[in-house]
Amino acid sequence: MLFAAGGQEVKSESKTLEDKVTMYASITGIEPVIETFNSESGITAEVTRLSTANFVSTVLTEFAAGKLQADVLQAPLPVLEILKDQGVIKDYVSPIGETYPEWTRNNGGIYQFGIEYVALIYNTELVKAEDVPKRYEDICDPKWKGKIVMANPASHATTISWLVGLKENNVFGSEENWYAFLEGLAANSPMFVKSFGPTPAPIESGEMLIGISMPKYIITKAPAPLGWAHVEQPLFGSPRAIAITADSPHPNAAEAFMEFWLSDKTTGILSEQVGEYVLTPGVYPPIEGIKDADVRPIRDLSDEEIISWGAKFEKIFAAK
Amino acid sequence: MIKSQTRLTWVLIAILALLSLSPVIMLLIGSFSKGLVQIGDFTLDKYKAVYGDVSFYGVLGDTCVFVLCSALFSTVLALFLAYLNNRTDIPGKFLFKVISVVPMMIPHVLFAVSWGLLLNPSNGILNLIFKDVFRMSHSPMNIYSIGGMILVEGRLDLPIAYLIISPAMASFDVSLEESSRVSGAGNIKTLLRITLPLLRPAILAALILCIVRCLASFAVPSVLGMPANITVLATYIYKITTTGLIPDYGKAAATGMCILVLSISLIYVYRYLTRSSEKFITVSSRGFKPVVVKLKGARIPLFIILLILLFVLIILPVLVLLYTSLVPYSMVPSAKAFSMMNLNHWKSVFTDSISLVSLKNSLFLSLVGATLGTILSVFVSYVIVKVKTRSAGVLESLSFLSFSFPGIVIAIGFMWLFVRTPLYATIWALLIGYIATYLPYGIRPMTSAFIQIHSHLEESSKVCGASFLTTVKRIIVPLLVSGIVSGWVLMATMFFRELSLSVVLSRPGTETLAVMILKFSDDGLWGKLSALGIIMIAISTLMVVSANLIGNRFKPASD
Repeated sequence: MLFAAGGQEVKSESKTLEDKVTMYASITGIEPVIETFNSESGITAEVTRLSTANFVSTVLTEFAAGKLQADVLQAPLPVLEILKDQGVIKDYVSPIGETYPEWTRNNGGIYQFGIEYVALIYNTELVKAEDVPKRYEDICDPKWKGKIVMANPASHATTISWLVGLKENNVFGSEENWYAFLEGLAANSPMFVKSFGPTPAPIESGEMLIGISMPKYIITKAPAPLGWAHVEQPLFGSPRAIAITADSPHPNAAEAFMEFWLSDKTTGILSEQVGEYVLTPGVYPPIEGIKDADVRPIRDLSDEEIISWGAKFEKIFAAK
Repeated sequence: MIKSQTRLTWVLIAILALLSLSPVIMLLIGSFSKGLVQIGDFTLDKYKAVYGDVSFYGVLGDTCVFVLCSALFSTVLALFLAYLNNRTDIPGKFLFKVISVVPMMIPHVLFAVSWGLLLNPSNGILNLIFKDVFRMSHSPMNIYSIGGMILVEGRLDLPIAYLIISPAMASFDVSLEESSRVSGAGNIKTLLRITLPLLRPAILAALILCIVRCLASFAVPSVLGMPANITVLATYIYKITTTGLIPDYGKAAATGMCILVLSISLIYVYRYLTRSSEKFITVSSRGFKPVVVKLKGARIPLFIILLILLFVLIILPVLVLLYTSLVPYSMVPSAKAFSMMNLNHWKSVFTDSISLVSLKNSLFLSLVGATLGTILSVFVSYVIVKVKTRSAGVLESLSFLSFSFPGIVIAIGFMWLFVRTPLYATIWALLIGYIATYLPYGIRPMTSAFIQIHSHLEESSKVCGASFLTTVKRIIVPLLVSGIVSGWVLMATMFFRELSLSVVLSRPGTETLAVMILKFSDDGLWGKLSALGIIMIAISTLMVVSANLIGNRFKPASD
């Protein structure tokens, strides 16, 4: 099969393909990619969505019983790394993946293709241009009290990692300033929801005015009045990754799917129609100003770190 | 006869042990095991971590307030509605069916979201209206509070309480009340001294079932409690299962064990309080027909209260769903919102192939599962009520085992169980899981109906030479029709919107509607979510109406 990647054509090995491929994915809104793959390849791709929190336990339970249904796994990088350590991931070398930047293809069989980027999202009809935060710490202004929505920082792994990422990337100049940011945010009594998914609705409706969320919703929730605050600091997020399972029931179809997923066509769809920030050079989601944003991956936190930081954030936000 | 009853009891115990005990054993092993997957080296660390944490007891306190108040609210409201419907001459009786059944069909997460849109303190539609009308500077109500949670959970559990109390209220021996009146007691005194005490098994059954359900309830605490930082046991367990990349399900199971102990204790309390069930028998071989109490001057005011309840419980949240399904994104009603209305969310739901597969699966699980579950419930209820042995008590406890756990935990138990069988990732795993978990929905209405049927009726049948099965078919089932219909309806509507087990056990090809609901919810697609929710309500309504029509054909003539 021929795929385009990074502007060049890459040929994948020709093998007899099975008629279906099963993917377990944590990413949402990928229907356009699946429809395109199904119509172009003649293979039926089926997707089961697993939340990041349930991913490892579900996959490991099936794997231990020899009943892992998935051929392809898509999840945040640290999740796939845990699964790799347990022997779930196939050490597959993707011809297209090898055209990606060096840092995205560091570990046997796992390929990073995007960043789950996080930003301050606001209601463009209710927040005046002059009030839109220019730095993250602007959200600590008391004028936002009772007007902020965010995923629960005590339990939502991506939010926990993001908050820690701000500290580790020295976004506020010092650890004291970072703590001041957390305390200022907590003092504004943000409304907590389970994950990023439910964050845009209260902003769209005006129940809340601003939130810690994902710019991709500007695309997927259009024509909702959502915009992102073009802060002076970089945007951060967890790397999104993909891999093939070691005992894939449909190994050839899995490889074909993997190549398709990493191709320019798919990253184009993910970017254009799903609003994802992809790692293919020169491809950006059609969101005003994103092209010029400095989007950086954050360090993978270990499970222990996430639990430990979650407990600390719970105390900070409970004392608000 | 006694021999065949004993054999039946043990067969049922074997079936329920397989259905209900197996996942609980898996969870028990998991709660005492080290490691990521279910079986590991023995440890008490998970129990120490949960029960040694001081904050856990604060959570327990909030849980008690939430659960007890919600269950009481549901039961009292159900009692009020059941009495008005079955025992008085109030007009518009068909409205009771609507009030009692429709909230059961609305996916709980949607119901909670609807109330968030109506009563959030920032721009809740009702709050805006109140502020405008009464010229208030602040919103008078805040749904993100323990009071708001109780209000919404209480309404959601109303159908459970109503469908248990109403059949008992309907099959009532007139002579006891007539005796009271002949002795000079008025309507109120007769209600308080005769009617309600006789309904004790049904009222307690409703209360206990509501308590157990509230303990496991997740939608309301997560949608309305989490924004206000109010944590109850279900959200505490959720936090355990979602914090970090490798959730500790063993720790969640250890937490769930205290809910299990609470639930089993409640069942024994219930059995103790209704131990002399003969006292509650109101249907004997003498025939029965409940007397209708004339409301006189209270007829219209009570009817108006009924209409208000109908509006608040059903019409308002369903209107919010309809509105949300038509606007392109979450918007407060306005001229702009109405001008932007379209059918895009509906079109995308109807053209989505996975939604259609989910609909087919949910219909199958609902119709077949509820029918099998009801048949099993008839036999289990019979043994629980009529075979009053110690093993019958064991059977009753077994029937509550899976149900007592928060869905999120028991689902893991089922995954650990099914993954060791060929059933894993098939529709049959879901079917078995549903029946095992929600069997009390079938058993409760039937036990309260069984309690009221005198054993003289069965004995007469046996004297005439009928076998046990013939007696069940010709005598017991016709007298139980109300209970059977209630049980079937509760199970069918529950299976149609079941989420906790489905999310964990569904795989490609076995998706259900609730899985789609969760997917839309995770993606923040409230419009599609609402459209699908309304479709679910419509189909559930059709199922309920059909069940009632079929039930009416089998009911014995009342005259």
